[in-house]
Amino acid sequence: MINSSILLSITTFSYLLCTILYMAGVIFRYRPLLTGGTLVGVVTFLVQTAGILLRWIESYDLGYGHAPLSNLYESLVFAAWSIMLIYLVFEFRTRQRTLGVFPALFAFLAMAYASFSTGIDSRIQPLLPALKSNWLIAHVITCFLGYAAFAISFGISILYLLKRNHPGNPSSSGVLGFLPSSKQLDGFNYQMILFGFLWLSVGIITGSVWANSAWGTYWSWDPKETWSLITWLVYAALLHARSIQGWRGNRVAWLSVAGFACVLFTYFGVNFLLSGLHSYATR
Amino acid sequence: MDHHPIERLENMQKNRGLPGSLYDALASLKLTLFLFFALAGASLVGTLLPQGLAPEELKARYSPSIASWVDTLGLSDLYRAHWFQALLVLLCVNLIACTIQRLPKTLKILKQREDSFDSHKLLKFNLNHSFTAQLDRDDARPRISNVINKEFAPLRWVDQPNAFCAVSEKGRWSRLMVYGVHLSVLMILVGALIGSLYGFKGFMTIPEGTSSNEVTLFSDDRMAILPFEVRCDKFDVTFYDTGAPREFRSDLVIVDQGQEVLKSSIRVNDPLTYRGITFYQSSYGSMLREAEVEFKDRESGKVHTLVLPFRQTRDIPDSRDTVQITQFSKNFHQFGPALGIVVFREDHSPTGSMILADKPEFHGNKVMNYQVKVLGIKQVPYTGLQVKQDPGVWVVYLGFTLMILAVVVTFYASHRKIWVCAEEQRAGGVSSRIVLAGRTNKNASTFEEDFNRLCERLENELTIHTARGKPDDQ
Ligand code: HEM
Repeated sequence: MINSSILLSITTFSYLLCTILYMAGVIFRYRPLLTGGTLVGVVTFLVQTAGILLRWIESYDLGYGHAPLSNLYESLVFAAWSIMLIYLVFEFRTRQRTLGVFPALFAFLAMAYASFSTGIDSRIQPLLPALKSNWLIAHVITCFLGYAAFAISFGISILYLLKRNHPGNPSSSGVLGFLPSSKQLDGFNYQMILFGFLWLSVGIITGSVWANSAWGTYWSWDPKETWSLITWLVYAALLHARSIQGWRGNRVAWLSVAGFACVLFTYFGVNFLLSGLHSYATR
Repeated sequence: MDHHPIERLENMQKNRGLPGSLYDALASLKLTLFLFFALAGASLVGTLLPQGLAPEELKARYSPSIASWVDTLGLSDLYRAHWFQALLVLLCVNLIACTIQRLPKTLKILKQREDSFDSHKLLKFNLNHSFTAQLDRDDARPRISNVINKEFAPLRWVDQPNAFCAVSEKGRWSRLMVYGVHLSVLMILVGALIGSLYGFKGFMTIPEGTSSNEVTLFSDDRMAILPFEVRCDKFDVTFYDTGAPREFRSDLVIVDQGQEVLKSSIRVNDPLTYRGITFYQSSYGSMLREAEVEFKDRESGKVHTLVLPFRQTRDIPDSRDTVQITQFSKNFHQFGPALGIVVFREDHSPTGSMILADKPEFHGNKVMNYQVKVLGIKQVPYTGLQVKQDPGVWVVYLGFTLMILAVVVTFYASHRKIWVCAEEQRAGGVSSRIVLAGRTNKNASTFEEDFNRLCERLENELTIHTARGKPDDQ
C-alpha cells in the first residue's frame, strides 16, 4: 500500500543518487552523468510532490485536515521540495547542468535530517488554533521559496569563490574549468538573490499580516521575526553593495555566504537556542 | 551588463564644500550599507539579551557595572531605545536624500533620446552582431522595421549621413521601480510611527456573562475606558482527541449606549472590529464569581454565613462591619486556593488576610475578631482579549502591497535596448552591412538569448527574401 511516508523515504534516497550523479558529472567532466542527475532530479521531484499531496490527504483522513506545512518535519520536506523546484526551473532556463551538486545535496540533507533525526516527529499532528490561517500557508510557502533561492545562491557563491581564488589557470582545464565563467556565476548569483529577496520580502509581509490578524500586532520583535529581518537586511545590503563600484564578485559572494548563515540561524538556531512565538516549530 | 549610469554621474560631483559633502554623505550608498549592518547587528544583540526586564530583574541578572551599561544603552528594551530608533530615522533620511539626488537624473535618462551613433560604436558593445545583406539600404530598411517591430519593440529612426540607424527599447519605466520599493519602505515606517503615536494596545478580561469597558494598556499599565461596552455571552474551548486545543471561541456583544449593536463570535485568527477598535481572542482562564464564607465572631460566638460576590462589599449582620473579597489565588504559596478577605470598620483602617480555602483549621484564617471559614467557591470562565486601535495599519499595508509589486517588477522587468545600423558596403552597390547591438540593465543571460534570436530572424529575413525580390513596402 503506497502512503506518503514510503514516497518520502524513496525521495530521500533518490536525492542522494541525484547528488552523486551531478557530482560525478562535474568531477569526471562527463555530461551524460549530468543529464542523468537532471532526470533523477525531475523524477524524484515528482515523487516528492506526490508524497506531499498524499500526506495532505492523509491529514484529512485523520480528521485534522491541514496543509502539510505545520511542523519541523513538514517544513524540512517542503524546503527540499522548494530547492529542487527552483533549481530545476533555473537549470531549464539557463541550460546549466553543472550547478546541480549543491541544490541536490541540500535537498538530500534536508530530507535525511527530517527522516533520521530522533528529535523530529514525523507524525501528522493537529493544528493549534493560532496556526489555522491561510496567511500562515502563504507565509510558510513564500519564506521557504526565499530560503531555497538563498540556498542555491549559497552553492553558486561557494563555486564562485573556489573558482576566483583558485591558484593556477582555472579557465582552461580541471573541474573548475568545467563550470560556467566567474562572470556568469556572478550574474546567476545576483539573479538568484534578487529572486530570494523577493520571496523573503513576501514571506515577512505575509507573516506580519498573519500576526496582525491573529493577535493584533504586525511586528512584535519576536526572535524569529527579528532574525528574518536580519537576513533580509543582509541581502538588502548585498543588493546595494553591487551598485557601489568595486563591490561585485568576491565581496558579494561572501555576503551571500553570510546571508545564508543567517537563513540557517533563522530556521534552526532560533528554534533551538532562542524562544518565542514560533517555538511550536521545534516539535 | 550595464554599469549604473547614475553612479557615474555621481562621481562627477567633486569639491562641494561642507554642506554639500554632508548632503552627499547622507545620500550615499555607503551610509545605506552602514545602516543595514548596524540595524542587523543591533537586532541580533536584541535577540540574545532578554528584553523587557524590570529594574529589579536587571539588577539580579547583571553585575552592577554591566547593569548600568545595559540601562544607559537601553539594551533590555533595545527596539524602543532612542539610538535604535535614530538608526531607523537615519535610514529614512538616507532614503529621501538619495531619492532627491537620483530621481531627477533617472528622469533625465528616461527622457534622453540618442540621436547620433554609428556602426563603429555599436561594434564596441558587449553584445553585437553584424552581417552582410544583398540588398541596398532602402530595401533593407522596411524589412528591418518589420522584424524588430514585431519581435521586439517599435523602432525609432535616427538617420545618419551615410547610414540608416535606429533604436528600439523596452521597459524604460522599469528603472523607476526601485523608487517604488524605496517609497514602500518609507510608507511602512511612517505607518508604524502613526500607529505608535495615535493608537493603543491593551488587554481586557471579561468573565462569561458580564460586560466591561476597561482596557489595561501594555505601554504603562494605565487603564483606558472604551466608549462602549463589550459583553461576553459565552466562552468555549474545544480539544482534539490528543488533548491539544482545537479552537477558542468567545461570543461577544457590543453594547453601545445601551443598544446591542453587534453580535459576533471571535476565534484566534478571526477578530472583531468595532469603531476602529479590534478585539482578538488571546487567552482564557477562570476567575472567582462568588464564595460562600462563614464568619464566627470570636468574642460573641455568633456565626454568620454570607455569599460574597467577588470584589463587592456585603454587611456582616449584627455589626457595623462590611466585608469584601479583594483577591483570589488558585494556589497560594502551594497551600491551595485562597481568598483575600478584607473587613472594613468605622474608625479602623481596613484589615485583611489571605484565607486558605482547603485548610479550615489553619490558625491564620482570621481577620480582626472573626474566625473565617470558606464553605464554597464558584468560578466562572473568562475570556482574555487583546484590544488595539492602530490608525497606521492601512499605511503599513499599502506599503506592503507596493513593496511586493515593486520588487516583483524589479525582478522581472529590465530596460532593454537594441540599436541597428544599415550602411552601404560600396557607394551605389546592392549589398549593405547591418550592425546590431544590444544592452540591458538586468537579466543579461535571457536578454542575450533574445538578442541572438532576433539577429537570426533578421539575418534570415534579409538574406532569404532577397531571392524572391522586394517585399511590399509599407
Ligand atoms: C530598507 C531599505 C531599502 C530597501 C528594502 C531597498 C531595496 C532596494 C531594491 C530591491 C533595489 C533593487 C536592487 C536591484 O535591482 O539590484 C534597490 C536599488 C537601489 N537602492 Fe535601495 N533599498 C533600501 C534602501 C536604500 C537606501 C537608504 C538607499 C540610499 C542611498 C538606496 C539606494 C538604492 C539605489 C541607488 C538603488 C539602485 C541601484 C541600481 O541602479 O541598480 N536604497 N533598493
